Amino acid sequence: MSSQPDPKSKPGSSFSDEELLHVHEESVAHTTDDGGSYKLLPLVLLFAFSGLIFFGGTYLNLFSGHFDPRIFDERALPHSGQIEMVKLDPVVYGKKLYESLCINCHQPTGLGVPGTFPPLAGSEWVNGPEDRIIRILEHGLQGPLTVKGNNFGAVPMPAVGAGGAGWSDDKIAAVLTYVRQAFGNNSPPVTEEKVTEIRNQVGTHAPWLPADLSKIP
Amino acid sequence: MISATSNVAASETDTTARGPLVLLLVSALGWLLVSGVLALIATIQLHTPAFMAACPWLTYGHTQAVQETAAVYGWAANAAFAVSLWILGRLGGAPLRGLGLLTVGTVFWNLGVAIGIVCIMLGETTAVPFLQMPGYIHPLLLVAYGAIAVPGVLAWTGRRQRATFASQWYAVAAIFLFPWLYSAAQVMLLAAPLRGVGQAVVAAWFAQNLMSLWLVPTSLAAAYYLVPKLSGRVIANYDFAPHGFWALLFFGAWTGTRHLIGGPLPAWIPTVGIVTTLVLLFHYVIVALNLRAGLGGGRGNVVLGFVSFGLAAYLLGGLLDAVFSFRVFAEVVQFTFFPVAQYRLAFTGGYSFLVFGAIYYLAPRITGIVWPSPGLIRAHFGLAVLGTVITVVSLATAGWVQGKALGDPATTFTAIAAATRPWLLGATAGEAILLFGNIVLTVHFVRLQAATVCPAWGSISTLEASAS
Amino acid sequence: MKNGPLLFIGIFAALGLSWAGLALGSNAQLGGLAPYYDQLENRAFPERAPGIASRGKLVYQDLGCAACHTQAVRRAGFGSDQDRKWGDRQSYARDYIHQERVQLGLSRVGPDLTNVGARIKSAADIYKLLYQGTSAMPAFPFLFEERLAMAEPSPKAVGRVGDREIVPTPRAEVLAAYLLSLNSPSDYPVEKADNTIAPAKKEGEHK
Repeated sequence: MSSQPDPKSKPGSSFSDEELLHVHEESVAHTTDDGGSYKLLPLVLLFAFSGLIFFGGTYLNLFSGHFDPRIFDERALPHSGQIEMVKLDPVVYGKKLYESLCINCHQPTGLGVPGTFPPLAGSEWVNGPEDRIIRILEHGLQGPLTVKGNNFGAVPMPAVGAGGAGWSDDKIAAVLTYVRQAFGNNSPPVTEEKVTEIRNQVGTHAPWLPADLSKIP
Repeated sequence: MISATSNVAASETDTTARGPLVLLLVSALGWLLVSGVLALIATIQLHTPAFMAACPWLTYGHTQAVQETAAVYGWAANAAFAVSLWILGRLGGAPLRGLGLLTVGTVFWNLGVAIGIVCIMLGETTAVPFLQMPGYIHPLLLVAYGAIAVPGVLAWTGRRQRATFASQWYAVAAIFLFPWLYSAAQVMLLAAPLRGVGQAVVAAWFAQNLMSLWLVPTSLAAAYYLVPKLSGRVIANYDFAPHGFWALLFFGAWTGTRHLIGGPLPAWIPTVGIVTTLVLLFHYVIVALNLRAGLGGGRGNVVLGFVSFGLAAYLLGGLLDAVFSFRVFAEVVQFTFFPVAQYRLAFTGGYSFLVFGAIYYLAPRITGIVWPSPGLIRAHFGLAVLGTVITVVSLATAGWVQGKALGDPATTFTAIAAATRPWLLGATAGEAILLFGNIVLTVHFVRLQAATVCPAWGSISTLEASAS
Repeated sequence: MKNGPLLFIGIFAALGLSWAGLALGSNAQLGGLAPYYDQLENRAFPERAPGIASRGKLVYQDLGCAACHTQAVRRAGFGSDQDRKWGDRQSYARDYIHQERVQLGLSRVGPDLTNVGARIKSAADIYKLLYQGTSAMPAFPFLFEERLAMAEPSPKAVGRVGDREIVPTPRAEVLAAYLLSLNSPSDYPVEKADNTIAPAKKEGEHK
């Protein structure tokens, strides 16, 4: 601060409103160097402001997750590639599907009801070619058939595909995969791609006759 | 040199606007007492939950909401209107126009707030912080505000001088920003609420900007006006004042979301709040640079003492905001009483003190006579300082203790309550002292007004026409 | 600054920018969040609360419970939320999409309530807490009715004081139903994948 009395100060008295306005307008207009302190201040403030912006910007870059709406943890960064989705285990899924529908007829034990609903445990149909059982699920089955030496067929099997329960291909594949390794069965799983292939190949179809199915290898 | 014309103009502004401004100030002081009583009840309920527990109107959720509403929409709003309108009128160089609208607006505003508060106690609340009054009250308040703002806008657009002063920028900013903020919040939170956590973002934005873009500009308008007037010195480094002004507006508006750190929001939202709170320090540096003449204490002038304490509290609050928003501290103090202490520092220590200074300055000028008792002013100052310091320090310590205890998974909540109890008792003591000080102010103000009718209540000297 | 219109435009721009960035920006990112469909469970999460719980939410709002209780679990490592068994994962934005009034809460004078339905299993515990309070929580006796106890106690009575039995009012019942319904679903795969990080990097730590 300069040692000379500030000509603009009025100790002991005060400014009127008009004076307030004018005196401050003048102080802005006449900002020439006054003992050297003026020149340094704008530079100091500029550096201070720049420093704050720099630090803030760095912090923002580090902890904002690059403004990605999926980043809730500030330390994480967005994934650039594909996210690995957890694959649903078809056996677990198939079991749930079985218990939601198939269980009503084929029973929790997979043994069915003698004379009415065929068993799935140890069945040659279940453990046989997958082309046949995919067709059974897609379009249904009717007509007399033999399973493990016993006769069935009085009650037709409804379709669970598009024409019936409306299950998608992955559901059919899952439930077949489950049944083929449950109840003591041990057969390879059925893939969703295979179900799709057969569905596209066959299109819509009336419920299959066991005789027609037996012709499919 | 004092010109004769500015004298006449000044006193005309003051005398013509006396009625509405006194109405605003009386309302403000009334709400100040109401919110003081409620704050006392609320702090008692924190350490003694059984206090008033049987009364469904005064369960802690209600007292906290009502105290907040009465403090902001009652005391702070009415005082802000009075101070900003008076300053704009003074600096505009002409008597305030639209005073009829101002009176009508004031009546409806206060009626709306009163009804809103009763409704909150009856249980009909929106449950949004700082928008607690039921949804039908807020549009009424917005319309009433429109009427109240008219004199201020007219004083700005019709100003006699082309040159403008920092107080005018801040007051104009406050006058326009409040209705925009308020209407945006009403739409996005009440009328057509956003989906999910978007509500939390807008609520945080609104709550912060009530302070940063409405109350703070009002109090800074008062500070920039009072410091040169009371100290007789030109504002130092005034050419940087616009930088401080724009920094507050552009950065302060983003700082609200820092409270949502760790919350169920994308990480950028709280981080932006933290960063802008840091950059906002620049605004505080400018304000300190400009108003350092007012920081030196009262030097015998108790009004300057209020301004001094208010500025110091404001600057300290800004620094604490910046420091404690960083994660290393926020981890401890989030969800504790510490942010409450920070808010009290900014609201009571910063805003209220600067507005008290403005009230002590303008009331004699609009009334025409000096304050009856300088002793009462000093008493209020002492009680207010003591009460504020005790309340803020107690709440801050309680918050820190609570935060540390929360961080230890083995500590139960009853143990935390026992640990914070002594500090909360201190907060109650501080609130009681503040309330007592505000009663002193109210009594003194009523006495000032009564002295115009009954001179025996007033002091002997009258305000000289030459003093501006 | 002499230019009035420029001042006005600047003030408007300052507010407008922050509003656009925060309110519109967050809404653009979060407003379209859909429930996550779990193929295995054949349900979409989060599930909507049953009607009685929605009424309880209104009682929760009316009483102002958010003044002391939060409903947001913070991530592991930031505070002791998960050590206190308040949740086994951080709360995400998707958890709140069905809530009409999101009550994240202001402070923790009491525990976080996001998953209180997993910690408290019976309404009787809640009634006891509401009727008596603790040294940290007020009692809410107005949520209960005290009636003369007859030979056959009321099936809804939760306690007895002298010759009077204490019966919760409908407000207390719906509030208890709401609190018991508060339970976040297990992790969402997208959020979980995006927010799992390798070794934690503290602020200021150099590589």
